[in-house]
Parts: sequence; C-alpha cells; structure tokens
Amino acid sequence: MKEEIIKADVLCIGGGIAGLMAAIRASELGAKVVVAEKGNALYSGRGRAGNDHFWCYIPEVHGPDITSFMKECLKGPKLRIIQAGTSMSVLRTFMERSFEIVKLWDDWGIPMKHGGQWEFAGHSFPGEVLTHLKYQGRGQKRVLTEKALEKGVTIINRVMVTDLLRHGDRIVGAVGLHTREEKVVVFQANCTIVATGVADRLYPSPVPGWMASTPNCLTLTGDGRAMTYRAGGIIVGPESPRRHMGPRYFSRYGQATWIGVLRDPHDKPVGPYVTRPDRKYGDMTMEVKSGILEDFMKSGRGPVYMDCRGIIPEDYDYMMNAFVDEGLSSLMDHMKEEGIDLRKNPVEFGTYHITSEGKIWINEKAETSLKGLYAAGDESIASIGPSATYGWIAGENAAAAAKNAPAVDIENVRSDIEEKKNVVREIVSRKEGADWREANVALQQVMQDYAGLVRSETLLKAGLDYLRRLRSKARRSLVARNRWELTRCLETLNLLDLGELVLLSANERKETRALHNRADYPLTDPMLDGKALYVRNVGGVPTFEWRKTE
Amino acid sequence: MPPIIDETKCIQCGLCVDVCAEDVYYGSKSGETPVVTYPDFCYHCNCCVKECPAKAIRLRIPLPLMLLYKEGECDIR
Repeated sequence: MKEEIIKADVLCIGGGIAGLMAAIRASELGAKVVVAEKGNALYSGRGRAGNDHFWCYIPEVHGPDITSFMKECLKGPKLRIIQAGTSMSVLRTFMERSFEIVKLWDDWGIPMKHGGQWEFAGHSFPGEVLTHLKYQGRGQKRVLTEKALEKGVTIINRVMVTDLLRHGDRIVGAVGLHTREEKVVVFQANCTIVATGVADRLYPSPVPGWMASTPNCLTLTGDGRAMTYRAGGIIVGPESPRRHMGPRYFSRYGQATWIGVLRDPHDKPVGPYVTRPDRKYGDMTMEVKSGILEDFMKSGRGPVYMDCRGIIPEDYDYMMNAFVDEGLSSLMDHMKEEGIDLRKNPVEFGTYHITSEGKIWINEKAETSLKGLYAAGDESIASIGPSATYGWIAGENAAAAAKNAPAVDIENVRSDIEEKKNVVREIVSRKEGADWREANVALQQVMQDYAGLVRSETLLKAGLDYLRRLRSKARRSLVARNRWELTRCLETLNLLDLGELVLLSANERKETRALHNRADYPLTDPMLDGKALYVRNVGGVPTFEWRKTE
Repeated sequence: MPPIIDETKCIQCGLCVDVCAEDVYYGSKSGETPVVTYPDFCYHCNCCVKECPAKAIRLRIPLPLMLLYKEGECDIR
C-alpha cells in the first residue's frame, strides 16, 4: 500500500470553520501548518454553505458586564444543551475573545454588519438581551480558505484522518486515508488540532431509510471524538441527546432565520413568545422545546407550521436574503419551483432526529487531556461563534507549544501505522460481506430503540450487547468496492465506537435531565447540577467520572 | 435524483467533482461530463450548482424531502 509521510509543526484535522481559523492563526505565528480535510475545504463542515447568526459579546452593544451577559445567554435551553459539558471558564474565554474574531472576519471580507451597524437578532427571548450577531456568511468558507492559503497553510483535501498516533503520553501525529487514491497518508506533527465537527448518522434521520434528511453534512461522523477516545482522551457527556427542528423532512439548520410564528392547524401559536412575525426575536418556542412538534403529532394536535403570513415586505426581503447567508439556497430554489410563497403558505416544521452531544474535553487554551492534542469547533464547543473563536485560540496555543515540543520521529509508532493499514487492507480485500450502509443502518436502529427517547438500564444493557456484537461482525465482514465506500466504512466504524460511548454513559447518568429520559430514574438529581460525565478509555476499559464544569 | 447535469451545457471542467463534500461524483473522469455515482448521498447543499461556470447543474429534490405546506387562507392577520 502506497504511503505518503507529511511533516508539519501543526496538523489541523478538518478544514471547517474551526480548522481553518486554527490553521490561519498558527501559520501567522510562524508554524508550518497542514490541514487534512475529508472533502474540500471550500465547501466542508457545518458552515460550508453559510451561516447568518454569530454568537458573540460586543462590549459596546452589551455593556461591560460579561458575567451577566453569559447568564442571559444560557437562559435558553438550546444554548444550555449544546454547551453542556463545556466548562464556564472556556465559555468565558470564548466570550472575551469573540469580538476580536468578529472584527477580523469583517476585515477579511465576511460582512458582519448591516448598514454599518452591529445588528443583533434571533435566538433571544422577546424584550431580553440579544445574543447573536446577524451576519452575511454565505462566502465564509471561501474567504477563510483563501486566507489560509495566503498565510502559507497547506490544505490537503480528500484525506480522512482515521486515527491519532500516540507515543508515550504524547500525540505525535495521525494516520489517514486518501478518499480517492489508493494511498495512506501519515502525518508527523509537533501539535495536532482535531476539528472534525459533529457526530451525525448515529440515529436514523426523519425520512425512513434516507440518510440525506439531516441538517448536517453526511460526512460529519464524529471522527475526531472517536479517534480522541481511542487514543485515551477525555470525552464529556456523550449521553446528552440533542434535537433540532426545522422544515419537516427537508432537514436544515437555520431555525432563527425564519421570521414567523409556530402555529397549530387552527392558526393558534403553539408557544407564548410571539403572535406576529418578529424580525428581532423570531419564535423562541423552538429553542425552549425542540420536541414540541413531535408532541403535537403524537397527540393528534398537529401538524405545526412555521407561519410567516403577515410579515412586512421589508422583513420578507431581509429573511430571504438571510436564507442565502445561512446556506439555504437549495431550499429557496425548491420553494420557487413548487410555487411556495412564505407570505401565503405556512410550511410544516418537524422535530429532527437525535445527535449526541459528547464533546472532546478542552481547557481555556483548547488543550485536550492528551499532550500535544488540541480540539476546536463543534466537537469541543458548539456553534459558529465559538467554533471560529476557539479555532483561533487552538491555533495560537498549538503554534506556541509546537516551537518547544519535542519532534518525535513517526517511525517510533510504525507498528500502530501498520495496524491501521491492516484494517484497510482487510476491508478492501474481502469479496463478500456487509457494505457500510448495512452496518450504519443496523447501528442506527440499535441507537434509536435502545438509547433513544426513552432509556432504562435494561434497554441500554441489551443495546450495548447488540452493538458490540454488531461491531465485531462489522469488523470481520465489511466490504468496500472502492475508496468512497471504504471511507464510509471507516466512518461507520467510528460511529460504532461513539454509539458504544452513548450507551455506556447513558447508563451512568441515573437521572432524567433535558432530553435524557430515564424511565427507571425519572427524577432530575440536584446532586448532578453543574456536573458533567467524563469518559476515558483506560487500557481498553471505558472509565467514568463526574466532574464539576466550572 | 439530484444533481442533474445538462450535458449540452457542461464544459467538463470538473469543478463540481472537485468541491462536493459528499463526493457524489466519485469516479468521474477528468475531461468528461461528470457522473453522479452516489445520488442518494447528496445533501442538496447547492455547492456544485453555485460552482458550475456553465450553469449546467440543477438539483432535483427527491420526493420524500418535498416541503409540506398549506394554502394560506388570509394574507394578513
């Protein structure tokens, strides 16, 4: 098998928002930086087609008291859930530095102002502090990719990094696979930053048998978390489920981009916050309870519609423009083709499938629990503002550390590299067996039925047995006809490891909290307030610990 | 199923093949009209549509993903 060895001071795994920001910062501080991207950095990650809300703290808008601003931000359950497990000191550091990033992006050509002003809208309760800057992110990936290249970063597209390489207590590089050519790529790096995004494809998406009905890119399979876990790094809170809502079946993010009211079939608002389309606040009902639409359907009171009727012409234009910024142009094309006019036609919304909220633990400097390894973006602190800011912070600290880090010859971990190559060899040499989709669907049904909306010790333990059996079978029988299918196989193997983490940690959380619903432990245990579940692989054994998140 | 390439317009530049994160055009050959090898892995992000300099690509949204809507009874409430 052909092998290419690439040496760098800093390796960024993933060329999304966080990976590119990390690369730009590390490179301008003098490090030799390589980005390994599974797709193409121009259009990869959750920010690939654009975003329109940037969570940030701007003192001239929000006042000098950052502590009270943070409290306001965490009032909404959505932000609380997606930031669960992230320590308050990390969140605070993000806040403190977010304005710096906003100004940088504006300088680089990502318009962060409307009419020359900082405009805050959406993701906030009526009359309360506005937390998200409205911006025009449709071209953000191109701007960041070009900026990275301008700073001397090497971007290697079409490489899926599959495992970190650990020598003693230090991460010294990573091994990956070219997704189109018959080649293994080995990276030797003084410091590595994982930024591979969210973990989707773990639970079935809203359209039965149709994986493309998800608001996430289909290649976001939590690769970074899986490899960090396998290397012995701490993962926080994989048991916490997260759900989103948006257009039913045509699943997309951007709920705050819609200026409308969620209404039942009798036109009655389903939430208490707005009765008319409100450009400033939107309908926060979605963020308070993402499962509300499902409740309406199950009880026969549905369906529920996003109703923009009554929107004033100026706000309609503003919303349509924001759809493009948020990366929803295909949805707009579809509406146009179907003759759907949001000024007249309410569009049905639905609750989406579960994604796991487990994150790679980081400290304020974006260091993980493993020496030489940093993490940024959705896999350590979720959403666009934090991803951009913590990418920058990770790049800054990794570049500084790389200067003093010992260069470890990758040949020291040759046996690990050969082991990874063997996994690939076995899959491609098999003539018959299960393809990636079979294994992925089998995993999804276990997750849905045994670690889904209702959980209990009996369900979780049975699910764990089934998953382990499935994984061992998948390892022995997966087949791939080409590199594309091989990439999907390796993603599915990562998902099998992450699924195991969810089942194990869901069993450890013996209480009901947010969307983690334990039939056998219905109480929310106050003893667990302000604590998160830390999971670590110690010599192949999953080890759990409750720690305070302050 | 998406994307659909108009062969009369395609200039075989390969930009769509280059940018797709899901790599639905896997196996396309340089200098030829791209093939959509994995259509049901298309996320409908419009990236290839936007990149195409010849405007030769459109997405056909699959039936299960069609937006569900109702006819509005009044314009202003």
